[in-house]
Amino acid sequence: MAHSDARTLDRWAGGVCPFDAGWRKVMMWWFIVTDGLLFAGFLASYGYARVLAFQWPPQSDVFSLKYIAAMTFVLITSSATMASAVQDAKQGRRGGALKYVLLTALGGLVFLGMQAYEWTHLIGEGARLTHNPWGDASFGSYFFLLTGFHGTHVLTGVIILVTTAARLARGITKEDGVEMAGLYWHFVDLVWVFIFTLFYLV
Amino acid sequence: MRTYWITWSVLLVFTVVMLWADSASLPRQVFVVFMIVAMLTKASIIGANFMHLRFERAGLILTVVVGLLVTGTVLYVLIAPDATRIHEMVTKYGPR
Repeated sequence: MAHSDARTLDRWAGGVCPFDAGWRKVMMWWFIVTDGLLFAGFLASYGYARVLAFQWPPQSDVFSLKYIAAMTFVLITSSATMASAVQDAKQGRRGGALKYVLLTALGGLVFLGMQAYEWTHLIGEGARLTHNPWGDASFGSYFFLLTGFHGTHVLTGVIILVTTAARLARGITKEDGVEMAGLYWHFVDLVWVFIFTLFYLV
Repeated sequence: MRTYWITWSVLLVFTVVMLWADSASLPRQVFVVFMIVAMLTKASIIGANFMHLRFERAGLILTVVVGLLVTGTVLYVLIAPDATRIHEMVTKYGPR
């Protein structure tokens, strides 16, 4: 009986079963899969609307693709700094980890600023949720839905990163916490790869 | 640390090549297939190297990858083509 209780306790304590990963990491992956499915649904419904539309505006007429590429560059760079933060945290270099987490948060803020500028510019040109001057009405709806939802994730990521940095500086957050923040941040980057390709390029 | 910056460079090269493909006059089908392959390759690189998925157990990798791929396939291969059929019907019979 005592032996059975001990085994039960071990399992609920996180253990290594069955993925050889702690419960935090497994839960983060479950979150990423479910959130990924949400974006997959959004992108599929966008694809549906795109095929149904009679006149989908050519993206290069509406967006400055060089500007969007610069946003992509910022996000990819912030992913590299985040990976470096996780590496430093794992090797016990708290100062290095803190520096890279803050650089990542800065990258997120730059991305958000660029997105805010893009939104302001397009709204100024007449883009709305219900109509736009370039073509099918759903173009504006999906632009605001996809980039808005992704931007909200970036904003959440920046808040998580700043919190992680503050806790890391005080020695509360350990390497696990940095790794979880990193997983979330890379997921945000991953989603952008899909939005950048499917909405802006294809 | 070096691996991450090599990964960053590879992702950057992919992005530049995708932008080049966008400006080149490729046939539409070739362009779309190229973009989707490049997109999935970039996503795999991020998942494997930045998210360290390649160091995880096969069980976790399969749960994540198969879960997303199966749903993606259902959404894009089974449901989305229906839009083409609706488009054809609207073209043929006109909007109600």
